[in-house]
Amino acid sequence: MSEKKVKIEVTDGASIPDSQDPSMFNAWWVSFIGAIGMIAYLVISKPDPYRNILLFVPDGIIVTFEVTICSIIGALIIGLFTGLGRISSNKFINLIASTYVEVVRGIPLLVQLFYIYYAMGRVLQVQDMLSAILAMSVCYGAYMGEVFRAGIESIDEGQTEAARSLGFSKRETMFLVILPQAWRTILPPVGNEFIALLKDSSLVSILAVADILRRGREFAAESFQYFETYTMIALLYLLITLILSKGVSHMEARLNHYDR
Amino acid sequence: MLKKIIVALMLTIFTAFPAMAGSKAPVVTIASDCTWPPMEFVNKDKQIVGFSVDLMKACATAAGYDVKIKNVAWDGIFAGLAAGKYDAICSSVTINEKRKKVMDFSAPYFEVQQSVVTNKDSNAKTLDDFKGKNIGAQIGTTGYFAIKTVEGVTPKSYDEIGLAMEDLYNGRISAVVCDDPIAADFALQQADYAKRLKIAFTVKSDKAEYLGVAVRKGNTEILSLIDKGLAAVRADGTYDKIKAKWFGSN
Repeated sequence: MSEKKVKIEVTDGASIPDSQDPSMFNAWWVSFIGAIGMIAYLVISKPDPYRNILLFVPDGIIVTFEVTICSIIGALIIGLFTGLGRISSNKFINLIASTYVEVVRGIPLLVQLFYIYYAMGRVLQVQDMLSAILAMSVCYGAYMGEVFRAGIESIDEGQTEAARSLGFSKRETMFLVILPQAWRTILPPVGNEFIALLKDSSLVSILAVADILRRGREFAAESFQYFETYTMIALLYLLITLILSKGVSHMEARLNHYDR
Repeated sequence: MLKKIIVALMLTIFTAFPAMAGSKAPVVTIASDCTWPPMEFVNKDKQIVGFSVDLMKACATAAGYDVKIKNVAWDGIFAGLAAGKYDAICSSVTINEKRKKVMDFSAPYFEVQQSVVTNKDSNAKTLDDFKGKNIGAQIGTTGYFAIKTVEGVTPKSYDEIGLAMEDLYNGRISAVVCDDPIAADFALQQADYAKRLKIAFTVKSDKAEYLGVAVRKGNTEILSLIDKGLAAVRADGTYDKIKAKWFGSN
């Protein structure tokens, strides 16, 4: 008749640390303050190369932003239609969307850029910025399409059945019931794609588009200060990416807020 | 089986090393950006060939050393020299004051001018006639520095001169500036380009422009080898033979 003591621990569920740690000592703040501090330190302590580099690249930063933002919009639109096409019951639409994903996913972005700009150049007379945006949108549209498809498929079939029996049309069911719910699953991977796209936008410098990387390379080619230039370029990209990732996690936080 | 392969590999390495060490002649590694025909480029058989390649090989024979030519992208070719990845650069490098501060140059081996390639229907006579238009050149070349100084022209820098030429042919830019032998090769030798493109004029400069072999600052050992070779090939007429081979008799 010995008593067994059972210890019961009461917790608030799995102890996964909150990714939105509000303290200043999370990874985001450390990187952000580190990057800004590093740039400020370099510019003040060694203005000779570093300040000159910083003054040389601003128009490149604007170009990088232009390419990134336009490509994100393009990729989202292409991605949405590809995702819908991939789950379409219409075999023809399904085949087109699937083939597009297979082909684009199998060719490196750098090769696609060369192809659209230089190889197709004799037929397709588009300007450098436009072909850069076109290639980036087409490439990332395929990846986004897969994200959209997975997000839509993650919503329980019961939702569709319920909406349909309430008299919603197929299109209304998709845009009013399924997509608003799927958006929550879709957003984190889409945010990742945004950041990857921003970094890959450096590849458009191959098309003589004067983005951050090309401006930096022009500076380095003339001054021979490769170490200093690429240090500054790396820090600038890091800073921009950090700002973008903060924006994405804010959006996620807002969606989760409505969830509770 | 794997053991056998490893043993075989080891044997080859051990026998190969003394064989290499056996030849006393020093080996000079030279970097070239082989996208610059006819000075240095990769031919249909994937061989690195060209005027400067032949010249470097002739110099090596004359001065008693061996050369190994490495194909290196232009963007970063000087960084590689500073980092000690190769001994010298022979890649149509123009000798100028800015470059002299960070590297040493051999005796000049060729004189160039900057040529402007444009469409046949253009009647531009100077770079100023391209106001409001795009002009392309290879990044970090004297051609690019020349167009950067022109007011009202949008300079575009390409990784390779061939890409700039293709863009000119496709009509996205109005002209390309590069060394005259390269301009001649692209505009006159390539059938497609020759139909539409021409060398319009050369950029006027108050100073003559010479190409030289660049070495790390203070590397007198390699420099003296190359200079000795250059002097020897000029003296015995090999230089003129190589020049005639790549540029014709004139």
